[in-house]
Amino acid sequence: MTGLGVVIADDARLFRSALAELLTNAGCRILAEVGDADALLAAVEANVPDLAVVDIRMPPRHHLEGLHAAVRIRTSRPSVGVLLLSQYLEVSHLTELVGDVTRGVGYLLKDRASGGDFLNAVHRVAAGGCAFDPDVVSAMLAGPRRRDLLDGLTARELEVLALMAQGRSNQAIAAELSLTGKTVETHVRNIFQRLTLPIESGHHRRVLAVLAYLRSR
Amino acid sequence: MELVGGAPVRTRLRPAPLIGTLAAVGACWGALVLVVTASGQHEGSTGIAFSAAVGGGYLVAGVIAAYRRPEVPAVRIGLLMVLIGIGWFAEDVQISVDPVVHTVGLLLRSASAGFLVHLLLAYPDGVLRTGVDRVLTAVSYTAVFVLIPVSTLSFDTLIPNLLLVWPSPYGVVARAVDGVQFVIGAAVTAVLVRRWVTSSRPARRVLAPLFAVGLFGGSTSVLDALLGTEISWHHDVLVGMTRAAMLALPLAFLSGVWRVRLGRTSVANLLARMPGSPPGRLRALLAQALGDPSLQVGYHRPEHGDYVDADGRPVPLDRAFTPVDRGGRRVAVLVHDPALQDDHHVLLAVASAAALELDNQRLAAEVRAQLAEVKASRARIVAAGDEQRRRVERDLHDGAQQRLVTAALTLRLARQRLVAGADAELDELLRRSAGSLEEALAELRELARGIHPSVLSDLGLKPALRALAARSPQPVELVEADLPDLSELVAATAYYVAAESVTNALKHASADHIRIEVDVRDSALRLAVVDDGTGGADPARGTGLTGLRDRVSAVDGVLTVRGEPGTGTSVIALLPLERP
Repeated sequence: MTGLGVVIADDARLFRSALAELLTNAGCRILAEVGDADALLAAVEANVPDLAVVDIRMPPRHHLEGLHAAVRIRTSRPSVGVLLLSQYLEVSHLTELVGDVTRGVGYLLKDRASGGDFLNAVHRVAAGGCAFDPDVVSAMLAGPRRRDLLDGLTARELEVLALMAQGRSNQAIAAELSLTGKTVETHVRNIFQRLTLPIESGHHRRVLAVLAYLRSR
Repeated sequence: MELVGGAPVRTRLRPAPLIGTLAAVGACWGALVLVVTASGQHEGSTGIAFSAAVGGGYLVAGVIAAYRRPEVPAVRIGLLMVLIGIGWFAEDVQISVDPVVHTVGLLLRSASAGFLVHLLLAYPDGVLRTGVDRVLTAVSYTAVFVLIPVSTLSFDTLIPNLLLVWPSPYGVVARAVDGVQFVIGAAVTAVLVRRWVTSSRPARRVLAPLFAVGLFGGSTSVLDALLGTEISWHHDVLVGMTRAAMLALPLAFLSGVWRVRLGRTSVANLLARMPGSPPGRLRALLAQALGDPSLQVGYHRPEHGDYVDADGRPVPLDRAFTPVDRGGRRVAVLVHDPALQDDHHVLLAVASAAALELDNQRLAAEVRAQLAEVKASRARIVAAGDEQRRRVERDLHDGAQQRLVTAALTLRLARQRLVAGADAELDELLRRSAGSLEEALAELRELARGIHPSVLSDLGLKPALRALAARSPQPVELVEADLPDLSELVAATAYYVAAESVTNALKHASADHIRIEVDVRDSALRLAVVDDGTGGADPARGTGLTGLRDRVSAVDGVLTVRGEPGTGTSVIALLPLERP
């Protein structure tokens, strides 16, 4: 791995340094560790990292300072991947964070940092992909109108759709579900036809379409 | 005698029965005089009937007066009336043809006049207020009971005057006596005119009948004295007019007594019309009942020790005033014309009627204030409870959750340090610890959300309702309109109504479909949760709905729960956007 440049923003010091250690062990270079949104924006401007890992609640008001800073970074520095960590998930937050661009963005429960998929998500977001927490995706899939429309999908297709919405690539989905790449592609095509979504070639556009569909009211 | 719940009535001399007894004696005396003098009356004259009517009129009026106003000094009015009646009969004694009786009668021939002057000057409260009044009364008594008896020594009459020692030439002494009577009459007239001019309206109301008659009688007697008392046509006319006035005088007084009855009627009217009157109207009613347009009601402010009117302006006690007390507590004062004190009974009746109403108003205001305070305090308690929940959620978020997340991450670092395969058992222990931590975190997150959903304070009601709908295992439809900025209290109340109702619909009513509607109607936030479940929600049962109702009431809202068995349930909360 060619060390990713990472900026970490979290006001909880112990967590921040544990996270830094985890990422360092994984070969990342920690460019800055900061404790609030202003310092985060400054560090991003100064270092232009590959990735910013941002806690959603930060001083001074412990409100949504991290979310707002993340949105600003995504607008002003599109090349910087932004991974937002939170202790609870809300579809509204995801909507605000993602906007119209799924490039280089992630939204995960903070607990995930200790899980096996976390480093995958880090690399995915840093590389311009996306990573959305399974919990927020299943909340979106569980929406009332969704369920009526999703009733036409098979259980396997629903699994594929969920992983796709999390930002996984076809290969990752195939690996996760122990399927061949071709089978996954067939499932994806079926899903798009059932949901009458335009079949997009690019991965990001596909994820965006799925998210937009799931978020649409 | 003992009043219920009151202090024993003090035994004391009661003047009214004494005056009644005196009047009875006076009546006997009058009958005796009329019988004794019957032979001396002019033939065909109505003298006996007239004398009886005037004298009896005074006696009766005096007794009525004494019983109507039995307190000192007002009772003196009754006493003077009775004394005038007795004096009146005494004046007739001179008519007797028996020289002895006639001579005694001459001594008493103006007996009633002294009492009459006293009565006119002391009316209506029985008090001689000024030095002039007192001097005039004294002079009058002196003239009647000293000067006239002395003048009898030279008073020549048809029937032999046994005391005649010095018959004055040309009736000089009689003329001198007439002159004195004229001066006294003029002085009394002047005093009465002056009193009338300086009196206030309520005072004139009291004085009017008596003064009218008094002035009439006074003027005729003055005129008679001026024109001479010799037998002539004008003397007869004037004496007749004076006598008519004399006859009318007790009637005038009775009309005064009647006016007191009017006062009592107006108190009854007051009692009937007063309840529920606004303070301004109350003052008008009291002024009307007392006949004093200048009346002011001063509400007592114990904390300031002063009095204010209904608009809060200070009411100075610079005139006569009557305290209005109830239950040993000062409620108000009535500031009024001093003349009203003459009508002590009416004033007291009005004051106690006013005490009832004013105290009711005070109590009503107190209850209103207490109710407002209770409402405010309930809202504060709910708001404090919400704040407490927010703080607990925040503490969990920044405390326990944060530490557990850090612990889980640290555990992961520890596992990384462990060379793969070096200690499989230890690795398994660490893995299980990590799993437990993860579960603990998930449970803690749910707990925190139940205590207070962060999204409610982070983003507001609509995103919170959306999140609520998204988490539901059964379809929850959300129909939302544009909402204005909501206070934390209203937003939290609406959220908890929705959350509790959705929980009930899923848990108790087995609903398949739930609809949450949120919009604004008539400056109230309307939140409705409608389901297609089994219905039959009973607000009286269980604490869920009762708790919601209390919460909604705390923001002055209304919670309606409808749902017959089989028709589903609808829970509707209307929450005012602006607190009254």
